[in-house]
Amino acid sequence: MSGNGNGQKRYVPFFGCLMTTKHSQFEAAVRRTMPKLDVELVDVEGFSCCPDPIYYKAADKLDWLTVAARNISLVEDLELDMLTCCSGCTSTLKEANHTLKHDAELRGKVNQRLKTIGREFKGSIEVRNIAAIVRDDIGYDAVAASVTRPLNGFKVAIHYGCHLLRPQAVMELEDPGRPEILQKMIEAVGAEPVWEAKHIVCCGTACQDVEIKSEIMHENLTEYSGLKADAIGLVCPTCFDQYDLGQLQISRKYKEKFAMPVFYYFQMLALAQGLSPDEVGLGRHRVSVKPALEKLGFN
Amino acid sequence: MAKVDFKFKSALDEMIGGMGHSACFQCGACVGDCPAAMHSERFNPRQIMLDAVLGLADRLVCEDSLVWECTNCTCCFEHCPQDVRQVEVIMAIKNMIHDRGISPDNVKANVTSITSTGRVIAISELIHKRRRELGLPELTEAPVDELQKIVGGELS
Repeated sequence: MSGNGNGQKRYVPFFGCLMTTKHSQFEAAVRRTMPKLDVELVDVEGFSCCPDPIYYKAADKLDWLTVAARNISLVEDLELDMLTCCSGCTSTLKEANHTLKHDAELRGKVNQRLKTIGREFKGSIEVRNIAAIVRDDIGYDAVAASVTRPLNGFKVAIHYGCHLLRPQAVMELEDPGRPEILQKMIEAVGAEPVWEAKHIVCCGTACQDVEIKSEIMHENLTEYSGLKADAIGLVCPTCFDQYDLGQLQISRKYKEKFAMPVFYYFQMLALAQGLSPDEVGLGRHRVSVKPALEKLGFN
Repeated sequence: MAKVDFKFKSALDEMIGGMGHSACFQCGACVGDCPAAMHSERFNPRQIMLDAVLGLADRLVCEDSLVWECTNCTCCFEHCPQDVRQVEVIMAIKNMIHDRGISPDNVKANVTSITSTGRVIAISELIHKRRRELGLPELTEAPVDELQKIVGGELS
């Protein structure tokens, strides 16, 4: 059950590693847009990496669960829910929370370790992705009401990525085969979602084989380029890496020109709420967002 | 001639828990949407589950194991009628590989980075500068001393 009494929208944000370092423009976008939706972000000090759901988990699952449980326990102290805004962090923290709530034996092992630093995983809060909070607590209508400069005519090709939706039993968001949450969020800022069934596909980043990874991205980019969209919209900084810097790499490798601007959803929301491109670091993207900004009437 | 490794079989059962991979009846539902299988000549989640059930450790727990080709997308979870959770089976095999010290360098580097800095990205002055430009709060040190007390993996 949510720890947010009185219907107040207060959460502890967990920004993780990528969004606080390489892509701090995404942290800025979340911090600037949430207050306009009556959401209060209550910061907690002392977090570590979530930790990483691909490599760190591949090394030692119990270590992975324990580090995640330590992060969750810091939020349990405040009796608030944890808000995650990176699909990787969501994957680790939601799965750890889910697993440790349901598996008493594992919880015992983890808590034995946490005891050495005076902490305990209680299982008293929820870990929630920001998209779930937009849909269930804020509401699409309230998002639309916060918009002062609707992104009319702006066509956004959606990339869901994997860990926002899957595995469904853990993520508990919606049917991963027929999702609609990102379409609704994009419509709420006045833009037009371009939706194809392929948009639930993987960005390939967690595959260790470079050739397979490149093939996946090349196929995805070929698909997206055919859609006549103004930008790719996504909610995961790891997928962003693949699409942004990845587009340059794939263009070089396959000798084809891919140059679709890539936006983190909350950067689009920020523009629609009247913020400037600089306030959400849009100039930092490797694939120029200039054509997209021109279409939106900036400079 | 493939060799059955009973120790591997029981260790995997223990790590997965419950029915897990032993419930796999080889229907192949996990293969259709698998992005790695689509682009790889050797990666096939159905075959990996069969090798795991049979206990053919040599094919899985080895250097350059094909399990690292998994993209971790978990599409296989959604299609599996037997709730095998293929990615978790693959993760358990990866844990065994890492235990033997033959995991890929970026897995080892990730562990070292998290246990020595608390993060997967090294903090630099440029990162601090960019955060200041965006008006973001100062990054604080991650609690490395606490992490080192609670993880049992490599600390060296």
